[in-house]
Amino acid sequence: MDKEEAEPVVEEEGQVEKEQEQPGGKVPREIAASTAMEVLDTLLKLMGVGGEVEVISGDLPLSLNIESEEVGLLIGHRGQTLSSLEYITKLVVAARLGEWVPLYVDVAGYKKRRQEALQRLALYLADQVVTRQREMSLEPMPANERRIIHITLSDHPEVETHSVGDGWERKVVISPR
Amino acid sequence: MKDLVEYIAKSITAEPDEVKVTEEDSDEGILIKLEVAPDDKGRVIGKQGRVAEAMRTLIRVKAARAETRARLEIL
Repeated sequence: MDKEEAEPVVEEEGQVEKEQEQPGGKVPREIAASTAMEVLDTLLKLMGVGGEVEVISGDLPLSLNIESEEVGLLIGHRGQTLSSLEYITKLVVAARLGEWVPLYVDVAGYKKRRQEALQRLALYLADQVVTRQREMSLEPMPANERRIIHITLSDHPEVETHSVGDGWERKVVISPR
Repeated sequence: MKDLVEYIAKSITAEPDEVKVTEEDSDEGILIKLEVAPDDKGRVIGKQGRVAEAMRTLIRVKAARAETRARLEIL
């Protein structure tokens, strides 16, 4: 079984934060939200990228969105910059508050649109796999995106999914059941 | 360039006063050297180098904007 399937709640975390993931919940949400906003804002400034950070959801997991003129730059190749920005924000917020705060960072709603596109792609490719009766692989994706593919097809009666490759080259393979 | 690394490193280490970041120009762009207390090394590198990798990604964006390249070395 895949790592991202085995840990359905927190999709892309390594083992480092495991112990911090336990719901502590001691820090009030408003504090968590304002800290996350401030950290992300500081990171953007230090990167020299203009952008406005907004809190989309103050409930956990916190959801932050960046509106910027430089969307492509902040997303990066295969979303790598966005993933890194989210990860560093989580680390700094956790260090600041002494508690792991689950949060998402998005840029101009990119992840949301990407999720919908990936779900459509997964279903389309599943059809192809069933028709041709041979496996097909997707292009390499970060863990959170692979997870979307796995989950979209988890109940599919005729195909199954797994991931192959390491690091940024890891990709999902869809095969006939 | 180094203030970004300094901010992240000082935030996530147990001994932020021990964080030292230097920056030098080389033929291949800017070389950033990050030095932390021995016990903090794991924190700035992360499991499978994940933290270091994320820092490098963010530095790369900043370097690209300045039309240069940047490398991060952790001492």
